[in-house]
Amino acid sequence: MTISSLDHLIENKRIVVTVGCGGVGKTTVASALALAAARRGRRAVVITIDPARRLADALGLRELSNEPCPVPRSTLDALGVPSEGSLSAMMLDMKRTFDDLVERFARDSATRDRILANRIYHHVSDALAGSAEYSAMEKVFELSECSDFDLVVVDTPPSQHALDFLEAPERMIAFLDSRLVQLIVHPAMQAGRFGFRMFQRSAYKALELIERITGVGFLEDISEFLLAFESLAPGFRERARQVQHRLRSDQAAFVLTTAPASESVKQSILFLNRLAALRVPLAGIVINRMRHWPDGEPPLSIPEPEHAATALSELTQAFAALGAKDFSALEAAQAAIQAADCYAALVRRDFDTTSELVARARTIDAFVRRIPELPEDVHDLVGLGLVANHLFHVGEFVAERNIAQ
Amino acid sequence: MSAALQHPLLDRRLILVTGKGGTGKTTVVASLALAAAQRGKRVIVIETGLDEHIPRLLAPNSGTAGYAGKTLLPGIDSMRIDPYEALAEYLSMKTGMRAPLHFVIRNPSFRQFMDATPGWRELITLGKIWQLEQSVDTKKRPLYDLLLVDAPATGHGLIFLEVPQVVASAVRTGTLHRNAEFVGTLLQDAQRTVLLPVALAEELPARETIELVARVRQKVGAPLACIVVNSVMPAPFPTGLENLDQLLGRLPQARQITGLPPLSAITRCAQHLRARFELNRRYVEMIHNETQLPVLTLPQIPHGIVSLSDLRVLAAALSRNRPVLPA
Repeated sequence: MTISSLDHLIENKRIVVTVGCGGVGKTTVASALALAAARRGRRAVVITIDPARRLADALGLRELSNEPCPVPRSTLDALGVPSEGSLSAMMLDMKRTFDDLVERFARDSATRDRILANRIYHHVSDALAGSAEYSAMEKVFELSECSDFDLVVVDTPPSQHALDFLEAPERMIAFLDSRLVQLIVHPAMQAGRFGFRMFQRSAYKALELIERITGVGFLEDISEFLLAFESLAPGFRERARQVQHRLRSDQAAFVLTTAPASESVKQSILFLNRLAALRVPLAGIVINRMRHWPDGEPPLSIPEPEHAATALSELTQAFAALGAKDFSALEAAQAAIQAADCYAALVRRDFDTTSELVARARTIDAFVRRIPELPEDVHDLVGLGLVANHLFHVGEFVAERNIAQ
Repeated sequence: MSAALQHPLLDRRLILVTGKGGTGKTTVVASLALAAAQRGKRVIVIETGLDEHIPRLLAPNSGTAGYAGKTLLPGIDSMRIDPYEALAEYLSMKTGMRAPLHFVIRNPSFRQFMDATPGWRELITLGKIWQLEQSVDTKKRPLYDLLLVDAPATGHGLIFLEVPQVVASAVRTGTLHRNAEFVGTLLQDAQRTVLLPVALAEELPARETIELVARVRQKVGAPLACIVVNSVMPAPFPTGLENLDQLLGRLPQARQITGLPPLSAITRCAQHLRARFELNRRYVEMIHNETQLPVLTLPQIPHGIVSLSDLRVLAAALSRNRPVLPA
């Protein structure tokens, strides 16, 4: 059941959005999903924001770019990607994506230039009602429309407001439509013709007060910017509606990535709640960097208490049989037992920490995949290939470590 | 005593702690507060994020501290600077009318507008920090010996630090210019202030920290003294047995000893622990080599930070101030 749904996702969806808090390897998981799709003959592109530099190098991304960059065919051959499949990657330049939007929706070149030249624009385009998230979603939509790709995997920006990107289009529209913005853009009209509400008046007065105290003509700058920007609203509104529609259609799927640290799990549960509140169905959860026992279930205690004395003495003898003089066989045996016992406890703890999340996943019919903590960080395509294998339960933990070396 | 005076962090007036999300920046802030209070300092911890974490860590049942602040432990106060509260305070200071301003900052339209306006949050927050630094008690002594700021995560952290310069150069005269200058001066003053990056011994946080340090040196000019690398894995095997994984590998792997997992499983555990440990160490070295700053490492707490006693372990490590690098 669960295996087929991850397979289904990779083989059929047009958009996969990976969500989750920072520092859990979201970029790695997103890239591995795209690689897995390419291995099944799909043309996949992964959009990432601020990946580890070495991963970027591995994917052939030298710098920010708004064009997908294809992984070379020879590399794809080595990774088992068939000739009909392909993998491209893109490190999103959010500022430029936003500039492109302004360009597209501006009535005329004068409006466009007025916006792009406004001295607060480059700050505002960063801060304006979640425009970074908006830009990311915009690019996803554009690429999903593009006939060069079957699947777009997007690695969402880590954000303090976890799911801002989903609401970004709406917030952008709400901002442009807000009465205060209208008031600043058309103060005379509002004062003259419409009921000039006390509410709006006090807000406007506050801005005037700030301006007077600080001595900055910031109302003027901002109103100039907003006046120009307002003309873009119809284009933005329509585009935002399309983006929202596509993201909530059955062509799109959401995958939550997390790590077994208790903080990450807590945040992930909050994520699940918010996704549910937004009525976004979650396809699955990938738990990255699970510590993994090499041989089935980790023992509860190493050694088993009833055999402690004989186990220690037999292991000591085994070390002594190496015949080396530079270490104590007894100390080596003690240290080896202690290390194994500690590691088994860590493996059990990772399972315990994530059990609530796994239980939640079951209730919403989402798949769960665990990726073992690898001995080395993933920073090249071979490493990504390993992660992709683990996503689909291919191969064994240690066997693959040897491949990596 | 002389050693105490030479502590690179605890003897400043203002520590701005920054780092990528997930590095345990807040844990480091809480531990520094404990370490400073231990030395008899009066500390205030200042949070700048949307949520408060310090009260939960240091005084689990105390509730939030808010803008008004709260004493969490003897010698440790905590507060969260809400930029709107700080704005209301600032405006009322300038005009002498308080109530109407509170009405205005709660006005949703006003907030929606201000939310989209860049720069002011950082400046007003830094302004409040400056004001706290200047505050004195009735005997004209500083109200706090140490201000510990849980600054925004790295990307935003830099904007946070650059704003005073940007404002001071964009606005040539007037109140705002003067305020930005005061704040900028405090941020640059190596006697009083230190910027403390918190990293993890992992690819992404290590890279970001190196880039942060380069950019701070190039553009911001805030004083740096050292880097804290959090949650570093301790050596998995005792001294003299550093190659235990290799010794295990030489034993007959198929052998089954009663009461133990197969030797092959024990060997793999040991190999994995060794590999992760070496990986950690390489990143710590990389951070030091590329920044040329001393690195203080904090040990990984295997069960996570669950109680005050976990924080005290970290506080003790910070207090000892033994940089692992340079050795």
